[in-house]
Amino acid sequence: MIAALIAAALAAALLLSLPRLFFGPTLYDRVLAMNVACLHAALIAAALSVMSARADWLDAAFALAFATFVLNVAMLKFFRARTFQAALASGGETR
Amino acid sequence: MDAPALLTAARAIIGGAIAAGGICALAAGAIGVLRFPDVYTRLHAAHAGQFIGAPLVLLGLLVLSPHIDVAVRLLLLAGLVVVMAPVMTHVVASAAHAAGLAPITGKYTAPRPGARRP
Repeated sequence: MIAALIAAALAAALLLSLPRLFFGPTLYDRVLAMNVACLHAALIAAALSVMSARADWLDAAFALAFATFVLNVAMLKFFRARTFQAALASGGETR
Repeated sequence: MDAPALLTAARAIIGGAIAAGGICALAAGAIGVLRFPDVYTRLHAAHAGQFIGAPLVLLGLLVLSPHIDVAVRLLLLAGLVVVMAPVMTHVVASAAHAAGLAPITGKYTAPRPGARRP
């Protein structure tokens, strides 16, 4: 019951961050909004796990958190280097 | 009221109060992401909301949690979020600065050479 209320409030906070994801003026605003939305989704999964008394949803929450981390770093590195084959060690920043 | 019902009610009240505090922080961060004028100020708001709000929500859920495996994983997730939120904020801010976005507000805003307004 209380976990369902927590999930509903977290969903409202997730909806608040979605306009920044779709209308963000720069790429970094979109990346930040994606980070916030995915973290809220992970917290919603945690609340659902407590509500349904199962640990499976929490594995989904872990997956969401790790995937957000990797996705953000990969996206920022791609838009810095503009290639999927950036040098692993380079003298300077390639932009 | 017997003891188990009293314990359940106390867990609901304490966990709900902690999680409500965390949800207030998270909602403030989301409103800051929506309303602040600059990518760096938005990062600041989002990081404050995540770093304070998410562990509070997870600790409140931990008080509410029915099993020990759920509780342990909630604690691990709280630790993960606490470690990961500053790293993410630093990565995004560093990438925005390297891309040449200048901050638009504040006192110490001398942009690096070649920086452009967002």
